[in-house]
Amino acid sequence: MMQLKNIKLYLLAMLFALAGWTGCTIDDVPDPNNPSLAPILEDATLNELRALALGVEQLGRDEIGFYYDVTSILGRDYWFFTSSDPRYTGELLGKGSAVLDDAGFYGTRPYAGRYANVKQCNIIIEAVANSKADLSAAERLGFTAFANTMKAYELLLALNLQYQNGIRTDVADPDNLGAFQSYENALRDINELLETAANDLNNAGDEFAFSLSPGFAGFDTPATFRQFTRAVQARVALYRNDKASALSHLNESFFDLAGDFQMGPSRYYTTAGGEELNPVFRTPDQSEAIVAHPDFVLSLDPADARNAKIAMRPSGAISLDGLTGDHDVVLWNSQSTPISYISNEELILIYAESNIGTNNTEAISALDVIRTGNGLGAYAGGSDDDSVTDEMLDQRRWSLFGQGHRWVDMRRYNRLDELTIDRPDDDVWTQLPRPVSEN
Amino acid sequence: MKKKKLDKVLLLAGALMLWSSFAMAQFKVSGTVTDDTGDPLIGVTVLAKGTAVGTFTDFNGKYTINLPGESAELEYNYVGYATFTASVNRSTVSLDVVLENATTQLDEVVVTGLATSVKRTNLANSVASISSAELTGTVVPTTTDAALYGKATGTNISANSGAPGGGIRMNLRGITSINGSSQPLFIVDGVFIDNSSTAAGLNIVSQAAGGGSQSNQDNPSNRLADLDPNDIENIEILKGASAAAIYGSRASGGVVIITTKRGRAGKTKVDVSQSVGFTTILNPLGVRDWTEDRVANSSRYAGDVALYNAAVASGTLQNYEEELYGNTGLLLNTRLSITGGTDKTSFYLGASFKDEEGIVQNTGYNKVSVRLNLDHEIAKWLTVGASTNYIKSAADRGFFNNDNSGATMGVSFSATPAWAQLLPDADGNYPANPYAASNFLETAAKVTNREAVDRFLGGANATAALYTSDYTSVKLILRGGVDHYALNTQAIFPNSVQFQRDGNGLNGVSVQGNTLNTNTNLAAFLVWSQYLTSGISFRTQVGLTNETFDRDNILAESSDLIGSQTNVDQAGSRNVSQTRLIQRDKGFFAQEEVNINDQIILTAGIRGDKSSNNGDPNQLYYYPKGSVAINIHEFDILPEALSQLKLRAAYGESGNFATFGSKYTSFSPFIVGGSSALTIANVKGNENVGPERQSELEFGIDLGFSNNRFLIDATYYIKNVDDLLLNADVPSSSGFIREVTNAAALQNKGIEIGLNANIVQTATVNWFSRLSWWKNNALVTRLDVPSFTTGGFADFLGQYRVKEGHSPTEIIGVGADPDDDGLVVFGDAEPDFQMSWFNSIQVSDFTLTFLWHWKQGGENINLSTLLFDLNETTHDYDDTTLDPTGALGNGDYRLSQLGANTEPYIEDAGYIRLREVGLYYTIPRSTFGDVCSVTIGFSGTNLLNFFDYNSYDPEVSNFGSGGLSSGVEVLPFPSAKRYDFHLRASF
Repeated sequence: MMQLKNIKLYLLAMLFALAGWTGCTIDDVPDPNNPSLAPILEDATLNELRALALGVEQLGRDEIGFYYDVTSILGRDYWFFTSSDPRYTGELLGKGSAVLDDAGFYGTRPYAGRYANVKQCNIIIEAVANSKADLSAAERLGFTAFANTMKAYELLLALNLQYQNGIRTDVADPDNLGAFQSYENALRDINELLETAANDLNNAGDEFAFSLSPGFAGFDTPATFRQFTRAVQARVALYRNDKASALSHLNESFFDLAGDFQMGPSRYYTTAGGEELNPVFRTPDQSEAIVAHPDFVLSLDPADARNAKIAMRPSGAISLDGLTGDHDVVLWNSQSTPISYISNEELILIYAESNIGTNNTEAISALDVIRTGNGLGAYAGGSDDDSVTDEMLDQRRWSLFGQGHRWVDMRRYNRLDELTIDRPDDDVWTQLPRPVSEN
Repeated sequence: MKKKKLDKVLLLAGALMLWSSFAMAQFKVSGTVTDDTGDPLIGVTVLAKGTAVGTFTDFNGKYTINLPGESAELEYNYVGYATFTASVNRSTVSLDVVLENATTQLDEVVVTGLATSVKRTNLANSVASISSAELTGTVVPTTTDAALYGKATGTNISANSGAPGGGIRMNLRGITSINGSSQPLFIVDGVFIDNSSTAAGLNIVSQAAGGGSQSNQDNPSNRLADLDPNDIENIEILKGASAAAIYGSRASGGVVIITTKRGRAGKTKVDVSQSVGFTTILNPLGVRDWTEDRVANSSRYAGDVALYNAAVASGTLQNYEEELYGNTGLLLNTRLSITGGTDKTSFYLGASFKDEEGIVQNTGYNKVSVRLNLDHEIAKWLTVGASTNYIKSAADRGFFNNDNSGATMGVSFSATPAWAQLLPDADGNYPANPYAASNFLETAAKVTNREAVDRFLGGANATAALYTSDYTSVKLILRGGVDHYALNTQAIFPNSVQFQRDGNGLNGVSVQGNTLNTNTNLAAFLVWSQYLTSGISFRTQVGLTNETFDRDNILAESSDLIGSQTNVDQAGSRNVSQTRLIQRDKGFFAQEEVNINDQIILTAGIRGDKSSNNGDPNQLYYYPKGSVAINIHEFDILPEALSQLKLRAAYGESGNFATFGSKYTSFSPFIVGGSSALTIANVKGNENVGPERQSELEFGIDLGFSNNRFLIDATYYIKNVDDLLLNADVPSSSGFIREVTNAAALQNKGIEIGLNANIVQTATVNWFSRLSWWKNNALVTRLDVPSFTTGGFADFLGQYRVKEGHSPTEIIGVGADPDDDGLVVFGDAEPDFQMSWFNSIQVSDFTLTFLWHWKQGGENINLSTLLFDLNETTHDYDDTTLDPTGALGNGDYRLSQLGANTEPYIEDAGYIRLREVGLYYTIPRSTFGDVCSVTIGFSGTNLLNFFDYNSYDPEVSNFGSGGLSSGVEVLPFPSAKRYDFHLRASF
């Protein structure tokens, strides 16, 4: 009997043991499938930081197709004919009474795509500050300056879409987003990010602690990457009408009047497994087509080497929605054609533009570098500011075709009304509506 | 009846009076318990009501019980027999009892608690209970969930397709989640079993999820299919929070408690049965009736007139529906069960062998299941039990449902006119189908899509009577269980099939998935019963629970296969992905029951739960419950004819965990320039995510007439689900697009009515009939995000819309007079009502049982018809029943509406069907010299079907069991009917 009692007591004890065990806490289960944000912000390993840096390149090349298609359509560089969505030839061209929709993918997706990368950059900045990885102060500055440069670049693209709507520039805390900044103030903030990055890169040592894709070949050390930072800053200075700063930034960039036009970092695409394909490339001569705007086709001198950016459709003209064109855009001629972030050709054009009004001769000689480089004769027009500006805008149109510059340039010079419209009630939009999720 | 009650009152009064002076007095009663044939019954529970005193009958049916006081009321309980009650007193020395077969459900004992059960007469909830006889007594159910059709009020069960091996969704009292699961929790002998569906990764070939629609469209089966229904003794369905609150955060979809058969002391019983049957397509549609004119006038086949005429001339015009779905599948089921035991140890051994073919060539389902349940009494106060079940099954499910590559058999079939010549030549080479990307006959012959499972279910329990006195008992119950399975999915598309050869497709694809799933649960309960001589008893229980869930899925996709090799390494291109799920839950509960003389039964309880799925894994979420049942018939104030009148009300709360992963903000892996990269995902995890919460209030009345020969029960419930989890848009400048938030609420209201009648009760004729009727109405009562459409392909093809003030399952499309959203409501997946009618008629040795099931209303989105129409092959293409002007044939009319009016593709999915019918003859034992009894019989499943729905079966779901999207049809594996012949011998 005594024994029985003992067993019962033993069982009761077991129950309480179980109670203690059950009652104790549950360990948090970290995401077993993917790295999570919180631990990376707290203490990222060096490998994780490196992967995050390459992630900036990934987000920079992913979803960028929407940005280039939309800005190129708005700026009448080309049309996109597709039966899957009528909005490319409808709302974006202001067909009839159609207006832009604040929930339309053409506004929300390129915008969200840029801000995803802004977030990625902010994560790097926070993670590298908290990481206990064996990194020198200089190496940490390298990460931060890289992130700030790329963040500034993406904010600039988002601002190009939103223009006078302004954008948020302080979005580090997703639960407490900063206020919308006017176009001018947003440019100011972007410039400051680049200035900080350029200064940090001076103290970031000889090598980055991370590697970049072949798209950044030649721009993958603090010193050479800084040339990219300054190049972007030159573009921003121009947008801010600060030609003097633009010139001084060019001096510290990879600007080279004698250099290869295509020089500069780019988004890297390859058909290798698991990588991204150029999202703007489309097989020519299909019914789904990027069709060069007839006005652009007409504007090109037959001798201009830049005719290679378009190609006559072997199957003849194609029509959709009251629009007809006979040239495909072949600017991106394969799935692995890189897309430039900023090229020496643009820097030469920035140099030319920055000299207009102060040194038109220098501006013309820079424009002649572009002209002769593309198989044209030297500039023979007037050397007054207006004439040189017209020439500069034409050269920018041809040299930077299909990269969204035409729309932004014409907007900068208040000339959007000069863009050709194709149907009587079409409209040229100044900016995209602020995405509905921001309201 | 009346007299007995009076006796009881007098006895209790007497007992009360005597209590003070003879409190410690004792007397002894003994006797034998037999059935109506005089055979002793072993293991009958004999309990003194109002006390903790009880015993069991022994091997010879004998019992002896020592009773306190001067008199007592003895209750004799035995599963399958009516409870017998007798008054005894000091002068009663011996009492022999004959138990009669249970004729009504009222005598059942219902498992409602985690550790305890309640007599149905004392239950405050409407708990559906399905016995082994109802579950498997009539037909051979393909799966356990398929055996539940029409057998319980408040349930909505629907097959996703007719593919062998199952695939069924089950909702109890309406949907309870929008993004999460509305499926109930299944518990088998205390083991929490996994009922998930694992996609086989067919998308790489079907491209089904390419066109902006959601995955998963692979039509996987759900894992409840593994459980052999023949092993089941009883199923109880707790339909909502009011009954299931003690299951806490897992109970929002309801709880299905499955109890398997166990052994009994006595002579060993051996049961052997064999059934042989066949299966055919349930509702063949026929093919388009082509004529030369119709070919010539068709927009698609106008150039094929010569081909058509040639086929007519040579007699090779084909009926491809028959070629594809015309297989008469052989169905073989063998079953063995052995039960028995001694007074200390009992066992149940059940084994099943199933080998069933499908209606499509090379499809089928086979399963081996072995179950061993053991119980042993270590000491009078300590019993242990174990339940083990090993299952090995394989289902060849064919290749069906939506695709964007023309590769699935259904889609390819829909695109093929009758004059196409697809049959293989003498060497077995299949010609290419000139009308589609694939030759479906070749696909059926060569493609493999198999799910193979090895599963072990094991449970153990121990019950220790820690303290027992005349009026008090304290029991400790320990229980543990494990559910472990390895699921192997194999989808093999050889590079010799049309859609993989000659530069098509990926030159052969082999997708193989391995899923390891392990659930464990441990629980301990302390149950303290206290009886007062006043007739009031208290039962207090507290318990602790601990559950773990681990799933690890590795999917290897290989393409560019080398020769005819199928191993995933014999390929030019390989891709591997892994998905893991880890969940840890802990909880406690406490419950108090008060039973006042069986007249008033009160219950109150609370459950506390925490889970690693919640934002804060250590935050406890509490789920209270409370109920009252009043047995007015126990007050002896009712007229004789009214033998039962019970009023009941119950309230309870429960939850539904956030989908695993909702709390994580994750990075996604990429390759950039050959090195690995991480990018932030666009869904923001919610670090504070909590469970969806449900509260349910139910009221009911139970009536019994003429000694409970006729029973009526009626229940009304209101179920509110709050904090529904949705993906809400966030400002995209945050870098994210969506966040999981608790942002909606919905309400289900419904009525359930049951009518049981023993219409004829004579020695040779028995007719039992049950009529059930139930309906549910759902409404979105709060939505913090804009209304949205989901669950389909596009609004113009029909989708579900979630909108405040509307049903969450309403089906919208485009059409005339659109509402604010630019959409038109064309239907609702929710049925108007459902009804079932079960009959069991026994005339001497013949038994006829049948079950009718009527689902009224509820719409489907029928895109099979759309695909047939687009290919001008619809069976009713040339009928003129739809066009109001009578000008266009049905096919042309429907197509003329495409894009402008979705209505022609939204169809009434109601049906009336003869779910089950069986006729059995038992050859008297004497024929075989009392060695065994033999039963022979015939049964049929879904033999008669009445519906207007323009496809194979209104029970269908392209998107499987998840989320809202039931009833979207895209050329599924058609449903089948089945016929079985049975032979059974019992020794």
